[in-house]
Amino acid sequence: MAWFTDRHCFLLAVTFYGLSTVYSVFLWRKGFRRDDWVNYFLIATGVVLHTLAMTKRGLTLHSCPVNNLYEATTFLLWALGLASLVYSLLPRFKFLAAFTAPVLFTIGVFALMPSLDPPRGPKPEFSGALRSLHAATSLQAYGAFGLAAVAAGMFLMQRHDLKAHKLRAMLSLLPSIQRLELITFRLVAVGFVLLTIGLAVGSQLPRQEGKPYLSDAKVIWSALLWLVYLESLVAYKFFGRSSRRFALGAIIAFAVLLLTFWVTNLYSPLHNQ
Amino acid sequence: MSVVVIGLSHRSSPVALRERFAFAGETIPDALAALRASGIASEATILSTCNRVEIYAVTTLATDAAFAELKKFLVTHHAFDGALGDELYSFAEPHSLHHLFKVASGLDSMVIGETEIFGQLKAAYELAFTHKHTGARLNKAFQRAFNVAKHIRTETNIQRGSVSVMSAAVELAEKIFASLAEHEVLVIGAGETSEKTARALLSRGARGVVVTNRSPERATALAAELGGRAVPFAQWPDEFSKIDIAISSTAATEHILNRATLEPLMKRRKHRPLLLIDIAVPRDIDPAVSELDNVYLYNVDDLQSIATDYVKLRQEEVARCEQIIGEKVAALLTQQNTPR
Repeated sequence: MAWFTDRHCFLLAVTFYGLSTVYSVFLWRKGFRRDDWVNYFLIATGVVLHTLAMTKRGLTLHSCPVNNLYEATTFLLWALGLASLVYSLLPRFKFLAAFTAPVLFTIGVFALMPSLDPPRGPKPEFSGALRSLHAATSLQAYGAFGLAAVAAGMFLMQRHDLKAHKLRAMLSLLPSIQRLELITFRLVAVGFVLLTIGLAVGSQLPRQEGKPYLSDAKVIWSALLWLVYLESLVAYKFFGRSSRRFALGAIIAFAVLLLTFWVTNLYSPLHNQ
Repeated sequence: MSVVVIGLSHRSSPVALRERFAFAGETIPDALAALRASGIASEATILSTCNRVEIYAVTTLATDAAFAELKKFLVTHHAFDGALGDELYSFAEPHSLHHLFKVASGLDSMVIGETEIFGQLKAAYELAFTHKHTGARLNKAFQRAFNVAKHIRTETNIQRGSVSVMSAAVELAEKIFASLAEHEVLVIGAGETSEKTARALLSRGARGVVVTNRSPERATALAAELGGRAVPFAQWPDEFSKIDIAISSTAATEHILNRATLEPLMKRRKHRPLLLIDIAVPRDIDPAVSELDNVYLYNVDDLQSIATDYVKLRQEEVARCEQIIGEKVAALLTQQNTPR
């Protein structure tokens, strides 16, 4: 089985995410009326294979597999997939998996691009528990932001249907919009706390002499992201920002995160060693 | 020996005739005893509700003879001296079992898919069972009917959704709010429909109710009836910071709530979701308020349209239910006809 690498395993996981995406389209077309477990098990199988892929890579590296863009992306996706499985167990949240599947599949296909996972050079200069903690908390934060965006999408869809008096809003087995709003807020808050920890731990990691922490492209990007989410949370909680704008903000912020994640990584000396 | 049914229902006869044949609950055991003593039936159950009166019986008589005797029993028992034609229906196996399963599943009810009949049928069966008027044949038929009804309830959409304006309003509230227990209801104008809607919301756990009406006496009386509090009509806008659901049904000829009034109130509410149910005609609430964020406005037509769509949805499910019933009846008859 030596030919069966962690990338093959991840490819299989992405295939399951793809199957789940196709099934999600059917669920969406049916107005999320039937409450079945098919999608949950498709994603769960994907997450199991995904975990296996990451474990294989981790065992090869003897460290947390977050050393290049492929690994960072798969870690982010894994956090998102796992969190969606956990949240799907809440009453009426089973359809969360249907909303998460397209995100997992799209980014999963992107992560499989060979250029994101170049042949390994010398051992990374920085390694150890602190570095792993920094990477893991930061990527889990992105996972929480991703899931918040998914919940926000569910909220906006249900809100639109209720406003437009569509029967689909009544027939669907989605949670109440108040609950979706609360979950979105909580996920953004959890993501924000994790990102804060990730940034704080990152500031303690060794870096090139004479270069301040905030001069690295990725660090600046992360700090900006931190500020965006902080503004969003504060405006929503203390200054009466509407739930619609908060939900839209969660979706836009995560979309920007996804679109700029790789670029900032490429321009970051600290994350390209 | 087979199961037969004879009776009349809302489909076959007017209420004036149904009430002539209705059995009072306490008289049913004696009626069943008389029926069995007459030799027409060895087992029997009587179902008597506002929408139907039916006798389910196990008989050894030939079908036509059994129907004639059962009809005679009904007429004699109720001292009915009028003429009876198509109002009285009768079925022999397998149609009698098919009918029983349909009744248990709510498919023969006035509101398709309603569940009240299930409880009524169960009570009728238990009464007959307790007084030992049922035997192996009816026990099996009724038990199977209850199982089929449960199966249909879980496997189809026949009981799904709200088919009345009041229940549609309650369902809407549950789509917006995580739990009704944390939300208070404001009733503006103490009309009958708003009272029923408020009652329905309270029965689903709404925290409380505030009533306002141009006539303070009526508001106080309704508030007392609903276990809530009354506020003067001029002060109802002040309640908007506390309540989350408002039901309006005043006789006003112009909008009593418009966007300009609601906008500052929403700020005071810190943009919490607000469900507005306008069941007044002419409408009490300016439709423009629904453009405001977190405001969900439904008028009587919107609610009626939801209820009508649900009725259509239930009707679409009937064919599926009939198929399930057909299969279950066939299975029961095969089981009964297979020698052990």
